[in-house]
Amino acid sequence: MGAAASAALIAGFLSIRPAHAAIHHAALVIQHASGSVITRCVAFAEDQITGLQLVERSGVPYEAQSFGSIGTAMCQLDREPSTVPSGCFGSGPYWQYFHRRGAAWQTSAFGASSSVLRDGDMDGWHYAAGANQVPGNVAFASVCAAPAPPTASATQLAQAPQHTTPVPTATPAPSTSLEALAPSDSPPPNAVLTSTGPPAQPPKATALGPWLAFGSMAILLLTLGAVNLRRRGP
Amino acid sequence: MIRHPLAWGVWATAVLAAAFVDRNPYFQVLLLLVVVNVFLPYRGRRRVGTWKFALALALVPVLFSAALSRFGRHVLFTLPAIPIIGGRWTLDAVAFGASTGLALLLTVAAFAVLQTTVRSADIVAILPRPLYRAGTTVALALAFAPKTLAAFQSIREARRLRGQRTGWRSAPALLMPLLLTTLERALQYGESLDARGFGSGRRSRYRPLHWTAQDVLVLIASLAAIVAIAVLPGVPYNPYLELMPGVPNPDQWLAVGLLAVPALTASLLRVDHAPHHA
Repeated sequence: MGAAASAALIAGFLSIRPAHAAIHHAALVIQHASGSVITRCVAFAEDQITGLQLVERSGVPYEAQSFGSIGTAMCQLDREPSTVPSGCFGSGPYWQYFHRRGAAWQTSAFGASSSVLRDGDMDGWHYAAGANQVPGNVAFASVCAAPAPPTASATQLAQAPQHTTPVPTATPAPSTSLEALAPSDSPPPNAVLTSTGPPAQPPKATALGPWLAFGSMAILLLTLGAVNLRRRGP
Repeated sequence: MIRHPLAWGVWATAVLAAAFVDRNPYFQVLLLLVVVNVFLPYRGRRRVGTWKFALALALVPVLFSAALSRFGRHVLFTLPAIPIIGGRWTLDAVAFGASTGLALLLTVAAFAVLQTTVRSADIVAILPRPLYRAGTTVALALAFAPKTLAAFQSIREARRLRGQRTGWRSAPALLMPLLLTTLERALQYGESLDARGFGSGRRSRYRPLHWTAQDVLVLIASLAAIVAIAVLPGVPYNPYLELMPGVPNPDQWLAVGLLAVPALTASLLRVDHAPHHA
């Protein structure tokens, strides 16, 4: 009975793990203090990326500063402010970070280096003073309207011209996946794919080894527990 | 039978290290199974209360996290703007609280095993000579609280048998006999210590503690588990970032297996409880 329960548990866990999709998209909305909004649609091959990777892959120039375990703060984005204040934050407006949840913006609980984006997610940045100054309403579909060409291979993507040159003054990790830079403020919003790293790896199959080890250990302990339960205590 | 307090102390330290270093739920569940397995052969008849307390304690972080945290991606429901508890209740916050609760449950469970298997007199007996007096005093002080509670309950039962009230209003009437009983016990402790030559040197033991093969085995396995926990990297779990935890590396099961050695020896050998009454 214990073995059956453990097997069912393992099967349940395995079924919960999502299968890999081919290419995912996340949207980025940047609202300046002047009110001007720029949007980017970023394609990625991984299951998820961080908010900082989204900015990095969007090609928007940025400068971030790491605050150790607290996370990474955005000091300058799309060249606003014109000069980075000492200590990253000045006394006036600053870059506020949001996630799109449903039809509303929600303040991020984490820094951009710790937040996670998956397919269909959208991040928002707003340069403003005062807390919780959400960016304007932008729908994901309006940013990521143009899907990537389905026949594009990694080799073809690597030959595609690059629209903008990312100028991150931080030192982000080298990208190993596909990137899409689609400035939606320039009509028409066609996605242009490029690659700055090796071709994306084929999705890995779910490793069964760790799950088998977990299941075996659980069955062993349950059996041992049944044996010890039958022994009377003092 | 494993009896040496040092072996149990190192085992409990290894369990606590594993419980707090790695918050992966799969790892925590296996660790809890290990602790329950170790507890079962040594369990007494009146230890259920400890587990009830541990389960209640484990639920507290779940409630606090769910009620007070407004972060997370998986919304369970949204309450209207009620102070403190209003807003989005998320599954991520529940998972974070559950992970913390499991760590607390493991802590109480490890101490429940220690409480069941180790006598305070044995701990005092293995203390280094300079700490012997201080250790005895601390052990007596720690024993005083449960003894006082037991005396309080005895006085209440005595009043109840006489048909007198035992509620909060009768607290002043309970206080005087409790104070007298406590003072009497303190005097008895003093006389007992004096009669046994406390302060004149280390006490001899009628049945000295010896290291058995099982004690050594548990000690070595527990030390190896501590090394394994420190050396082998865990799979970090933060439900706010990723709700579904990643399965730990199979290498980490090594630490879990090593911590199960007391349960294995107990299931293979007969547990003899007689020396506890020596």
